Amino acid sequence: MKKFILINHKKFDFILLGMLVVLIAVGFVAIFTASTTVISDQIMTANHWWKQIIFAVIAFLAIALLLKLPMPIFDILIVPAFVLNVLALILVLFAPTVAGAHRWFSIANINFQPSESAKLLTILMVARYISKENLSEYKQILYGWGIMIVPVILIMIEPDFGTTLVFWASLMAMFIAAEVPLFFIVLMISPVVSVIASLHWLGIVIWIAVLAFLLLRAGLSWVAITVAGIINTFIALITPVFWMGLKDYQQNRILTFLDPTRDPLGAGYQIIQAKIAIGSGSWAGKGWLLGTQKNMNFLPEHHTDFIFSVIGEEFGFVGSMFLILLFFAFFARLIHCVFQLKVRERKVATAGIMAYLMFQTFINIGMNIGLVPATGIPLPFISYGGSNLLINTISVAVVLKYLNERGFIK
Amino acid sequence: MNKSSRVFLITSAVLFGILIIALFRLQVIKGNHYQRVAESNFVRIRRLTATRGEIYDQKYRPIVQNIPSHNLFLISGKIQNLPALARFLSLHFEVTIEEITEMVLNQRFRTYEEILVADNVPFEQMLSVSEYLNYFPELVFRIGSTREYLRPNHFTGYVGRIDESEYERYKAEDYSINSYIGKTGLERYYEVLLRGQDGREVVQVDAQGRSLGLFQKGGFIEPLNGLSLVLTIDNEMQDFANRIFPAGVKGTVVVSDVRSGGILAYISKPDYDPNLFMQRITPEIWDELNSEDKPLMDRVIHATYPPGSVFKPVTAGLGLKKGVITQFTRLASCIGGMQVGNRFFRCWDHSGHGTSNVVEALMRSCDVFFYDLSMKLRLDEFYDYVLASHLGSKTGIDLPNEREGFFPDTAWYRKTFGRNVGILGHKVNLSIGQGEVLTTPLQMNAYYAAIANGGTWIQPHLLKQTVGRARLTREQVERVQTKQLPFSQADLRIIHEGLYAVCNSPYGTARSVQVPKAQTFGKTGSAENFMGKKTHAWFCGYIVTDKPEIAVTVFMENAGGGAAMAAPVARQIFDFYMGNIEDIKRPAVLPPQFRSAEDLAAEAAQLSGQDRAPEADMKQENSEEIHPD
Repeated sequence: MKKFILINHKKFDFILLGMLVVLIAVGFVAIFTASTTVISDQIMTANHWWKQIIFAVIAFLAIALLLKLPMPIFDILIVPAFVLNVLALILVLFAPTVAGAHRWFSIANINFQPSESAKLLTILMVARYISKENLSEYKQILYGWGIMIVPVILIMIEPDFGTTLVFWASLMAMFIAAEVPLFFIVLMISPVVSVIASLHWLGIVIWIAVLAFLLLRAGLSWVAITVAGIINTFIALITPVFWMGLKDYQQNRILTFLDPTRDPLGAGYQIIQAKIAIGSGSWAGKGWLLGTQKNMNFLPEHHTDFIFSVIGEEFGFVGSMFLILLFFAFFARLIHCVFQLKVRERKVATAGIMAYLMFQTFINIGMNIGLVPATGIPLPFISYGGSNLLINTISVAVVLKYLNERGFIK
Repeated sequence: MNKSSRVFLITSAVLFGILIIALFRLQVIKGNHYQRVAESNFVRIRRLTATRGEIYDQKYRPIVQNIPSHNLFLISGKIQNLPALARFLSLHFEVTIEEITEMVLNQRFRTYEEILVADNVPFEQMLSVSEYLNYFPELVFRIGSTREYLRPNHFTGYVGRIDESEYERYKAEDYSINSYIGKTGLERYYEVLLRGQDGREVVQVDAQGRSLGLFQKGGFIEPLNGLSLVLTIDNEMQDFANRIFPAGVKGTVVVSDVRSGGILAYISKPDYDPNLFMQRITPEIWDELNSEDKPLMDRVIHATYPPGSVFKPVTAGLGLKKGVITQFTRLASCIGGMQVGNRFFRCWDHSGHGTSNVVEALMRSCDVFFYDLSMKLRLDEFYDYVLASHLGSKTGIDLPNEREGFFPDTAWYRKTFGRNVGILGHKVNLSIGQGEVLTTPLQMNAYYAAIANGGTWIQPHLLKQTVGRARLTREQVERVQTKQLPFSQADLRIIHEGLYAVCNSPYGTARSVQVPKAQTFGKTGSAENFMGKKTHAWFCGYIVTDKPEIAVTVFMENAGGGAAMAAPVARQIFDFYMGNIEDIKRPAVLPPQFRSAEDLAAEAAQLSGQDRAPEADMKQENSEEIHPD
């Protein structure tokens, strides 16, 4: 009996959906207070919060549509959608600049950012091609990078460095879920760690030792370990030489990216303002609508990238902990979902989606509390912004759909 | 639980663990510190306004300078009680409660930014208001600078608060809503040079003035002050011309250096005091500024007039160029006028001049000679010739909104009066500078200066150089255009002869215009304008010593005859110039405040290295620097 075709009651993950709804609801509250200014007895609120409610309604309609879409059609659509999206990424380079970057298509006042949808579609594409049966690890890695590199390069041209990082993290997660041996992951991350370790000679020594140990434990041959060790030592040693070769302004640009407080009139200023706001929230916060830093509007746009600073200021440590633990539970649930799925492609895709949402969350909150350089990544489900909310919600909907369809095909 | 799920869980636990620890440190351990920082309100970026460049005459004597002013700012984010604040401000300043409320609400998304409530607050008022500032921590007085216009004139223009449309247009160039911007005149034309570049400073001190030490590096961008302008104007010449211009008469005086094109005096009457615009203008003053006399209008370049007889050298020049007349050609006999078709065109002198050649016609300003000449010329070649003489287009002086003047061609007449218009009568009128032709006084001045300068027209200009942060010559700022007017040297000599006769022959219309030690050249004009009023009085001329010196244009709106009204003013200016020629021409010494380190070093080297008198050194150095020509 086909009574309820939208939801398979036995298999649908209501917990995941419930957490999603709670996160978006927290977003409404945060956006409301972030776009409110209190001057004396005057309370003025910009209309962002109800716009976000409209976006959320659209997002939930999209979930319903997606759940209704037959799985075979969904599977067929991924490749053409990806190709179209890559074309859009190329076209957007010729669109007029907004705030110094080619990121948006603007049609009839609706801004569309193709790099948002590219995240999800790239994950689905990579998942499909690295999950094929009987692939060697080398081919998996080759396909993964091969597919990922196209949108990453196009997005880097825009330029949007933060999004690139998110891509990279979700690729690693997909390799892990696709059962690429862990030492490959270690090898792929190792050059980055080598560059960081090159800050101090002791760092190089310790890192090379740790690397050798990890690879040895993974059971690699001595020849492979030696080659990896030599390559990484070389990278670590060449980094300072390369650094010296850079012009002063180039060095400054990199240093400012790593430590924005070096630039008190630019990014450092925003981060300091966010830190003051969050820090002054203390244990219990200043109370709903009463954030003094927020009311001074020191941070332009604090309803988008810096919304966490408003939460930290008005709800204090207690409030921020509530949100962070909510996020943690949400991601734990997603990890749990990864291993509920038996179809390899879906499992890998879910891992990618989990990692890309988690990295955005980490980078955004880290940026608000001064741990991570300011990169312009919004807080998933909380920050104001239609296309971001839509794509993040649809990503979760894809996972919900996978869970819902368990056992239908196999 | 398999291996990969363990990796995921551990990674997420580590990432969130880092966030929780960092948050605990920030909010719980350092919470008190940040609470203090937040209370001491506030860490913010403050604009450091660059000092606007001043304006000097060619001898570095000030024309416009900066004086300190007290400005009252409001920070809307700190407001405790808006109704009380609005009432307080409306009591003490000329703003209404509604205006204050609106200002604050408009600023609601930039509550940390300071709003300028009142500028140039008088000192006594500042003292009385300051007593209440304890109750209104959102108000603060800041010392800024405002303009003082020492010598009211029409060329400097004035600055004012940026208005909304200007802000929208220029905000990309780092203007704030509190910025000043040049509104008219040189202040507007050289806004980019005068303004400089604002700096920035991160304010990070608490209420007690202690540094909060949030940034290791200072966070300071030094403002770059604007460049000061040194003009070609000579303050003494300007003052003299101002003084002798008859009271109650509307008109202009332009004195320019023939060989450089630099303007020495630039007067438009009636004038106004630009300092009025530095305060809130009362309705009475506003009415006065917009009265029928139009004191705000710069008559030198923003108004066009029929030139009348001062236009005759143009007609004569074309006749000579086309070979229609020579030096000796005598045209129709003047019997107090001339019959053209079915209309009798009068000469100004109803008793008649008999026959004249071109020199005599200029000397006595005989209209009939030019009527007759015009009938031998085609209108369109006349039009081309006027344009080539640079009379129908902007001179390109370094001031905004210059007018073009006007000279009609056949097409224009057909368009305006229909296809079958009779050109002849119009052409006859145009030949004596009447009818549709219109020029600005500046265009006439540049034209006569070009005649004096052997036919080379030089773009009139006011800027000589800049001093201050950068010393730019005129050529570095903007090239002065030069152009050869369509005169052969032989024709030019004939025109010279005619203009000389005007001032020096016993029959000349301006025979009173003579000065010792120099030859005077000129032409009078009494231009009719169809309003039943008196004629416009014109005099255009120049003086020559061993070389051409200055060109003077005097124009008086509806003041009567050129010979009676305008010529005497020109004569006094020529007199003044010849009496003070050494002072005016002596290069000025660069004042110490404008000398750079290199200048001082070069001077010291010269003093120690050579056995010459320091004065001679100084002169030599400056003559190199100030006299590029």
